[in-house]
Amino acid sequence: MCNVTKEQVLDSISTVIDPEVGFNMVELGLIYGVDIDDDCNAKVTMTLSTRACPMHQMLEQWVREAAERTEGINEATVEVVWEPAWNVTMAADNVKQALGAM
Amino acid sequence: MFNISRDFAPPIKMIEPFFVIGSIFYALGVLFLLFLDPASGHVDLVTVGWAHWFLLGFVMMIIFGAMAQLIPVVVEVGHFSVDLYYIIWPSLLVGTLTMVAGFWWIPDVLAYGGLLVLVAMVTFLFETFLTLKKAERITLSVKSVMWANIFLTVAIVIGFLMALAIGEGVVLDVAKWLGAHAVLVLGGFVTLTIMGLSLILLPMFGLSHGFDETPITRAYQLMVGAVIAYVVGTLIDWNWVRWLSLAVAFVSVGFYGYQIWIIYQTRARKAHDIYAKTMYVGYGSLAVALILGIVTLFVSSEQVILAAAWFLILGFFSYLINGHLYKIVPFLVWFERYSPLVGKQKVPMLNDMLPERRAEWQFWFTSAGLVVGGIGLLFGSSSLFHGGVTLMVVGAGFMLSSVLSMLSYGKELNISRTENNV
Repeated sequence: MCNVTKEQVLDSISTVIDPEVGFNMVELGLIYGVDIDDDCNAKVTMTLSTRACPMHQMLEQWVREAAERTEGINEATVEVVWEPAWNVTMAADNVKQALGAM
Repeated sequence: MFNISRDFAPPIKMIEPFFVIGSIFYALGVLFLLFLDPASGHVDLVTVGWAHWFLLGFVMMIIFGAMAQLIPVVVEVGHFSVDLYYIIWPSLLVGTLTMVAGFWWIPDVLAYGGLLVLVAMVTFLFETFLTLKKAERITLSVKSVMWANIFLTVAIVIGFLMALAIGEGVVLDVAKWLGAHAVLVLGGFVTLTIMGLSLILLPMFGLSHGFDETPITRAYQLMVGAVIAYVVGTLIDWNWVRWLSLAVAFVSVGFYGYQIWIIYQTRARKAHDIYAKTMYVGYGSLAVALILGIVTLFVSSEQVILAAAWFLILGFFSYLINGHLYKIVPFLVWFERYSPLVGKQKVPMLNDMLPERRAEWQFWFTSAGLVVGGIGLLFGSSSLFHGGVTLMVVGAGFMLSSVLSMLSYGKELNISRTENNV
């Protein structure tokens, strides 16, 4: 049984900031889910704001490294998905407000 | 799923010369306008020389440099051989200088300059076609880039033959083929490239989603058809085909403008930053150039032709290029110097790397100059034209300074990509 929570992993991932928009991956709504198995391995499901993002591989890697920095997590894997496609309604209110989308 | 590997992205030392040389050509190109007489026509050799200085040295140089970075983004695969870009900029630089010298002073060297430009472009085309061949998803952007490069191939063959005709006496009706050369380069290559790239870049930077792509599909189809028809019309010497082709090209630009409006309406990022403002003026200039272009179909006026070309080249092309330099250059510098430090120390955001005040000065001086100079050309006022150009020269100085400032941001870090591979 693993005692690490999804919120702890999300806290770690929230240190990853997209340098173009200046917000972290969690508040942008780009992290779709975190699953933690009994051996404390985390699987992060995420997307990107655009399919052609030139920082695709780096962001994926930073999210994996951040998840692995969570105390108690052994190993993390990241899956990038395109469905559902991201849109600004998935972002946190502070992001929408800063972007002028609300 | 696709990944843009670090290996796909070119090192900054490869791309830097394109942006530095392009910005210098832009600044000097605007400066040279001070010595141009607006009363001279668009086929005058001094004007043609200036057009080659600006289009080859600035527009093409920056597009080629940007393509080294953007082709993997558009095609979603790595370059066939990105090292070939080391050949492109020196050939293009020396070729352009030689060609311009040929137009302005020594016609005999024109063909040699043309040959060097040919080498640069054939190298670019060779690399691009072999990269496009690897594409798995054939999107509209991929198709646009492919057609753009086909048209560039034809354009440079015609251009080289014209250079031989002027410099070496090869028999060719230069006046007749000049129009086809211009349509192939401006409509076929530059506009189609911009259409393909803007479908990716504008939504990426504006965070636009879920918009209809029908208008740009129509724009792409019509522009491809129009350029082919114009070349065929030139070949068989049917004026009405050329006239109709231009009309279709203008309709294509109209559809493209409508697509940009849709993307603008659906954007989530509503900040009116330097990038957004530059895009507004760029697309506003395109609208003015389109209206003036339509007028030239019905009214034969050298002033209207020059004013249309002014708003297209100094407005639309230049603003789109300069605006994207404020996005692409900080990204390349950040990617090279700061991405290895993520997670180890605080790194700047891309916005922090912009010299904001200089960029603002650049925008306002250039925009004022664009409007004043354009009005001067349209109404045949040399004073207004040169007054506008003077404002643009100041703006160009700020542009060059901004690019150099962005390129030198964090240079003291001296991080090696190979030693710090993320």
